[in-house]
Amino acid sequence: MLGTLVSNRLDNWFGLNAQRERLLKKVPEGPLKTFLSVPFPEPKTPISKVPMLALDFETSALEASEGHLLSMGYVSVENLSINLGSAEHFLVKSQQQLSNDNVAIHQITAQESQSGLTLEEAVEKLLAALAGKVMLVHYAKVEQTFLAKACKTLYGYEPVYPIVDTLVVAKRRFDRRLLPYDPQDLRLTNLRDSYQLPGHYAHNALNDAVATAELLLAELAHHQQTANPLKDFLR
Amino acid sequence: MDNELSEIYAFVGSIAPFEQLPEEAIVNIVSHISICYITAGQELPPQHIETPSFFIVRKGALNYVDENGELIGKYGEGDICTVFCYPEKYASISVTAEEDCLLYALDKQKLLGTLITQPHIISFFEQSAEERLKNKVSSLQEEAVVNSTLTNTGVDQLYQSPAATINQHQSIAETAQKMTELGFSCLVVVDNENQVKGIVTDKDFRRRCIAGGIPPEQPISEIMTPDISMLDIRHTAFDALIAMTSRHIHHLPITDQGKLAGMLTITDLMHFEGQNAINLTSLIHKASSVDELAEISELIPKLQVKMARLGTPAEQVGKSISAITMAFTIRLIEIAEELYGKAPVPYAWVAAGSQARQEQMAQSDQDNALIIDDSMQPEHGPWFERLARFVCDGLAQCGFIHCPGNVMAMNEKWRQTESQWHHYFHDWIEKPSPKALMHCSIFFDLTTVHGDKQLLNRVQGKMLARTQKASLFIAHLSKNALQFTPPLGFFRDFVLISNGKNKKTMDLKHNAIAPIVDLARIYALQEGITSVNTIERIRQAAGTRSITKASAANLIDAFEFLTTLRLTHQANQLQAGDKADNFLSLKEISRLEREYLKDAFKVIKTLQDNRQSVY
Repeated sequence: MLGTLVSNRLDNWFGLNAQRERLLKKVPEGPLKTFLSVPFPEPKTPISKVPMLALDFETSALEASEGHLLSMGYVSVENLSINLGSAEHFLVKSQQQLSNDNVAIHQITAQESQSGLTLEEAVEKLLAALAGKVMLVHYAKVEQTFLAKACKTLYGYEPVYPIVDTLVVAKRRFDRRLLPYDPQDLRLTNLRDSYQLPGHYAHNALNDAVATAELLLAELAHHQQTANPLKDFLR
Repeated sequence: MDNELSEIYAFVGSIAPFEQLPEEAIVNIVSHISICYITAGQELPPQHIETPSFFIVRKGALNYVDENGELIGKYGEGDICTVFCYPEKYASISVTAEEDCLLYALDKQKLLGTLITQPHIISFFEQSAEERLKNKVSSLQEEAVVNSTLTNTGVDQLYQSPAATINQHQSIAETAQKMTELGFSCLVVVDNENQVKGIVTDKDFRRRCIAGGIPPEQPISEIMTPDISMLDIRHTAFDALIAMTSRHIHHLPITDQGKLAGMLTITDLMHFEGQNAINLTSLIHKASSVDELAEISELIPKLQVKMARLGTPAEQVGKSISAITMAFTIRLIEIAEELYGKAPVPYAWVAAGSQARQEQMAQSDQDNALIIDDSMQPEHGPWFERLARFVCDGLAQCGFIHCPGNVMAMNEKWRQTESQWHHYFHDWIEKPSPKALMHCSIFFDLTTVHGDKQLLNRVQGKMLARTQKASLFIAHLSKNALQFTPPLGFFRDFVLISNGKNKKTMDLKHNAIAPIVDLARIYALQEGITSVNTIERIRQAAGTRSITKASAANLIDAFEFLTTLRLTHQANQLQAGDKADNFLSLKEISRLEREYLKDAFKVIKTLQDNRQSVY
C-alpha cells in the first residue's frame, strides 16, 4: 500500500517533469517559455539543498473565477535559510473595482492598487524568480489557481511546477498520528504558534511568505527531516 | 514597490546597537539577514552558515559555555551573539540553543560593510564587556559634564575677587563701617602679611559682640571665627557646595597656591542651582522643631530627582544626600541637647552603612550608633538613651525609616563606650562567625556625624590594625560577600524576585551594587585603608595584592554605571509619586543599557571568582 503511494508520487513527479518538457515545446516565446526551460530540482535532492521560493498572494476572492490578484510577496529559501535580501513585494493593478471588504482586509486602497505593477509585469517577475525552484506556500490552492488563470490569460497556457505546501506537510504529519484534530490547527498562525514562532502581521503577502518559510524551517528541524528527499514533501 | 518587512525592521531597529540608526540603514541591514531555525540542544553556528556571522536571537534562548563546561551566560530575544565573528577572543566559548531558536544570521563582512559610516557600532561588536562598560561610563560622564552646571563650573568662574579683607588689629567698629560701605555681609580677617586669620560675618556682630558684651573698640580678632575652611581655586563649584553644606557655612574663602584669592558665597552658587543642597541645609539649620524638619525633608526626593535629571553622577548625588542627612542628624542632636541639657560625658554620634560611605539615596533607612567616652557612669545611661530615641525617631519622621535590622543608637547594644566598641571589633575579627559578620559588616563603614571625632578614630585605627593580619576574618567576610552574585542568567526572562509586587525584577541593590560595596570593604580591611566610600576604597586598593589596577578601574566603572542606573530608576519613581526602591524591571531600560548591565555583571562575577580562588 505504502509502496504504491510512493511509486504513484514518483510517477506524478515524472509526470510533472514530463509535462514541463511537453509544455515547453508548445508555448510561444516569452516569460512562460523561459520559466519552463529551467529544469526543476531533482526529486532525490535532500530538502535542505532544494532552492525554494516562499510565496503568498493577496486576492480579492478565494476563487480565481471570482476575484483577481491584489499583491504578491516572495522570498527565496536556500540551504534552509531565508534570504531577506531576495524579498520582493508588489501590488498588482486591479482590473476591477475594489470592494470595501477588500480594502478593510488587505489595507490596499484603490489608489494604491493603481500605483502597482500590471498583471503582466507582476507575473513575469514571479516566473523569473521561481525558475528552477520549488514553490513554497501555505494552502497552495489560491496561488496555484490564480497563477494558472493569469498565465492562461497572458500566454494561453497554464504552467506546471513543483509545490511544497506547509499545510499539506502538517496535515500528513497529523494524519500519521491517527488522532483526531481540529482543522483550525492547520492554519498558518496556529501552526506557527505550535512551534512558538513569533506572531506576525498577516494579510501582507510578503509577511505571509516569510512566515510560511519560517514554518517550514521549524517543521523540518523539529521532525529531523532536513536530510529527507524533496519527493517526501511534494504535494 | 515597498518591501513590506516592517515587523522585522521594527525588531532590528529596537535592539542594541542598531537603536540609533536611521530607517534606511535598518532596511539595508535587514536585506543581509538570513533567517534560520535551530532546535534545542543544537550547537551554533548552524551547519549551512559557513561564513563568520552574527546571530540575532529573534526567538528562543542561547547558552554560552566555557571550556570547563560552566555556564557563563544566557542570551535571549534581542541579544546578538558575536562569538563566531571574533574567534581569537572567544575560542573557548561554545554556544548551544537552550530552546528552539529563530535566528537572524548576518554575515560579518556584509554587515560591517553596511556600517562603514557607523564606527561606534562596529566597535560595539568588537569590544569586550569591560571595554563597552568603560565607554558607557565615559559617555555618562560626558552627559553629566554637559548637563550639570555645578560639576562643569570651576570655582574660578564663580568667586568674587579680590576678597574684601580687614586687618586683624582694626576695631570691631571700623570693621562694621567697612562692611556697611561695601555692602558686604562678610570680610576675611588678615594679619600684616596678608595671611588669612579668620572670617567675620554679620552674625558675629550679633552673637559675639552685642550678645557677648564685647565693646566695639576691641580688635576684630576678638569676635571673628578663626580656623576657617578654605578651598583651592582648582576645585569645582560642586566641591564648594559639598564643603559648604557639610559645614553649614555660607562663605568660603578661595585660595590660589595657599594665598587668598577671593570669596565664594552661597548666593554665588544659588545663582546656579535654584533648589539645591545649600538651600536645604540652610533651612535645616534654621529649623526649630522636628515638625519643621519633617516638612523640609520632603524636599530631599525632589532634590535627588533634580540632580538625576541634571545628569549629576550618582557618586556626587550620594555625597549630597549623605551631607543633607548629616545636617538633619546634627540639627536633631542640637534640639535634643536643648531639651535634655548638655551631654554628661563626651560622645560621638556615628553613621553607619550607606550614609557613612556617602552613598545614600533619598528614602533609605537609617543606620547609626553612639560611641561614648569611657568616663561614662551608669547614671549617664538615661541621658544617652533619651538622646538616641529622640534623634532616631526624629530621623524616622523625616523619612529615614527605622533600620529593620535595628542598627540604631536607640538599640542599647549599639550605644556603648569606646572600650566596649573595641571589644566588639576584637570579637568580630578574632572570633569571626559568618552569621555574626553578615549582621555587623555595616559597622566596618562608619563616620562621625557629631561629637568627638577621636572616639571613632581610635576605634577604627585599632580595628584596621587587626583586620590586616586577620586572614580568617577576611576569609569569612569574603564568604559572606560572595553570597550575593549578579544574576547572569536573568537576561533571558528577568525573573529573579518572584514575591508580590516585585515580580519580574532584579534587585539592583543586593545583586549588583552591594557585591561591589562588599568587595571594596574587603579590600579596605585587608589593606588597612581608612576611607569608607566605595570608589575611594577601590581607588586606594588598586595595585595592591587585593586588586590589580586594571580590575579596579573596571570595578569602578561598573559601580558608577549601576549606581547611575539606580539613580535614574529612583528618579522616575519619585517623579511619579511612588516610593523609591531598588527593583529594576526589564521594561525600564533600553536594550543598550541592558547590554551594559550585562557587562557590569560580568565584571563583578570575575572579581568575585578571583576572590573565591584566593579563599
